[in-house]
Amino acid sequence: MAAIEIDGLTKRFGDVVAVDDLDLTVEDGEIFGFLGPNGAGKSTTIDTLLDFIRPTDGTVTVLGHDAQRDGEAVRRRTGVLPDAYHVYDRLTGRQHLEFAIEMKDADDDPDDLLERVHVADAADRKAGGYSKGMAQRLVLAMALVGDPDLLILDEPSTGLDPNGAREMREIIREENARGTTVFFSSHIMEQVEAVCDRVAIIDDGRLVAVDTIDGLRGATESGETLYVYTQTLDDTVVSAVAALEGVGTAGIDDDRLRVTVDGVSKFAVLHAIDADVVPVQDFSVVESSLEDLFVRYTNDPTDGEKEGVEP
Amino acid sequence: MTWETIATKDFRDAVQSRALWAIIAVFVIVSLLSTYAYVEVPEMLGEPGGATFAGLLFFTSGLVALFVPLTAIVVCYKSLAGERELGSIKLLLAQPTTRRDVFVGKVVGRAGVLAVGLGIGVVVGLGFGATLLGTLEAVAVVTFVLLTLVFAAAYAAIVVSLSATTGSTARATTLALGFFVLFELLWDIVPIGLLYVVSGFSFPTEIPDWVFTVTQASPSSAYFSSLVALLPDLADQVGAEPGLEAGVEVTTDSGPLYASPEIGLVVLVLWLLVPTAIGYYRFDRADL
Repeated sequence: MAAIEIDGLTKRFGDVVAVDDLDLTVEDGEIFGFLGPNGAGKSTTIDTLLDFIRPTDGTVTVLGHDAQRDGEAVRRRTGVLPDAYHVYDRLTGRQHLEFAIEMKDADDDPDDLLERVHVADAADRKAGGYSKGMAQRLVLAMALVGDPDLLILDEPSTGLDPNGAREMREIIREENARGTTVFFSSHIMEQVEAVCDRVAIIDDGRLVAVDTIDGLRGATESGETLYVYTQTLDDTVVSAVAALEGVGTAGIDDDRLRVTVDGVSKFAVLHAIDADVVPVQDFSVVESSLEDLFVRYTNDPTDGEKEGVEP
Repeated sequence: MTWETIATKDFRDAVQSRALWAIIAVFVIVSLLSTYAYVEVPEMLGEPGGATFAGLLFFTSGLVALFVPLTAIVVCYKSLAGERELGSIKLLLAQPTTRRDVFVGKVVGRAGVLAVGLGIGVVVGLGFGATLLGTLEAVAVVTFVLLTLVFAAAYAAIVVSLSATTGSTARATTLALGFFVLFELLWDIVPIGLLYVVSGFSFPTEIPDWVFTVTQASPSSAYFSSLVALLPDLADQVGAEPGLEAGVEVTTDSGPLYASPEIGLVVLVLWLLVPTAIGYYRFDRADL
C-alpha cells in the first residue's frame, strides 16, 4: 500500500499557481526526500497532506484516507514536524508533549521523548525561551508521540547545528527501521542524499524528477567534471575547448578550465586539449555532486524568472 | 473528543496573559472603589433612597457590561488569528483533531479564562459591597453570577469567532474593536439613525416598537434585560428598565417600555450561537 498518494494536485493562491498538477506516490516503509528550492511548492504540498490548506484540484490520500475528508484519521497515525510553526511561548516543553500525548491518546512518557531529542534538561522551562534548535527538537519529540506509521517532516534540519542535523538523521533512520514511512522536505541536497531511499525534485510547483539517488546520478549526462590547469587561459581557449568532440561545457572556474565530459573518455578529452588547444599542466577530476544535479534540475534557463510562494 | 484537551491547553496558555491580569486588576480596583462610593454616598450615583443590595447588584452589572467586552477582546482577539499568524496552529492541527474541535476548544478555553478573571472581580466587588451593606441575597447572587458567565461565554464566542475569520492579528484587532465600538458604544444611536433613515430623513412623532427591540439587541443590553427578566423583584426595587444600563451608559430618552425583558435571554443565546456558526464556517474553509 502507498503511504502517500497525490493525484493531480493543483493549488492556486489567487493568480499564483503554487502547485501545478502534481502526481506523487510514496511507498510504505521508505524514506522519501522531497527536494526543491525555497518557494517551489514543497510546503504547500505538505500542507495539503495535513489538510492545513485545501487543494484547488486533485486528490490527496494518506495512509489510505482522504486527507481532506478524513484528516483526523490521517493525523492519528502521522507525526508532523511542520514548517513555519511556532511553539506556545507560555507553555513548558513538558506541557507541549503532554498535550500531544493526550491528543493522540498515547501512553508515551514525556521525559523519555525529551531525552531522546536532548531537551530533557529544559523540560520545565517555558518554550518561549527555547532556541530555534531546541524548539525544533521539541516539535520533533511531539511528532514521535504514539509511534506514528508516517512521519512528515518539513525542513527538519532548520535551526539545527551539524550535530543536531546528524541526530535528526539518526532518529529518521531509527523510526524507519521500526517500519515508519518518512516523508521529508529539504532545500539542501546533501541532507536528502544521506538518508533517502528515493527523492522527488519539485520546482516551480511542478515535479521535475522522481528517482533513487543513484538513478538521479545516472540520469544526468554530466557524470564527471574535469578541472584542468593550462599554460594560458582565456576566452579563445575556452571556446576552442568547448568545440572539441565529447566536451559538454567549458568555462573558467577559479583560474582553472572547467570541462564537463559527455560520452567520451576523460583521457581523450585531456589529450585533445593538450594536443590541439593549449598545453596541460595538471588536472583533477570531480564526480558531480547531487548538489550539481539539483541545480541543473531546478535552474532550467528556459524557465526564465521564477516567482514562488511558500505560504 | 479532543476539544476538552485543546480547551485545557488553551486555558493554561491564555490564563498566563499579563494583559488579562492587568485588566482584572483594574476591574477589581474600579469595582472596589465604585462599590464603596455606591454604599457610602448612594445619592451621588443616582440612588437617593439609599444603598440596597438590589441596587448594588444592578450597579455591578453595569461594571460587568463594560468589563466583559473589554476583557473578552484582550483575551480572545488573537485566539485564532494570532495562532494562524505565528504558525502555532500547525502544532494544534497536526494532531488527530478537527477544526471543529479546535474552534470549540478555543471558545471554551477562552470563556474559561474570562470566567475566572471576571469571577474574581465580581466576587470581590459584590463581597465587599455586601459586607459594607451587611446583607447578601444568595439566590440573587447565584443567578447574577450564572447569567454573567453566560454573558462572558457569549462574548468569548463573539471575539473568538471574529478572530476565526482572519489570519491577521491586525485585522482581528480591528474587527474586535469595531464590534465593541458599534455594539457597545454607538448602539444607542444606531436604531435612532435607522429610524431617521427609514422615516425619510426625518424623525416621526411616535417611536415605533422595533426601535426599542433593536436597542436591546446589543450583547450588553441583552445581558441587562436578562438580568431584569431573571430578577424581576430586585429590578422593581431599583426601578431598572431593560435597555438602560446602570452605571455605565447614559440612557436614550427611554420612551414607553414595549419589549419584554425576556427577549434579552433569547438575544443573549443568539449572540452565543450566531457568531459561533459564522466563525466556524469561515475557519473551517480557510487555508491556514
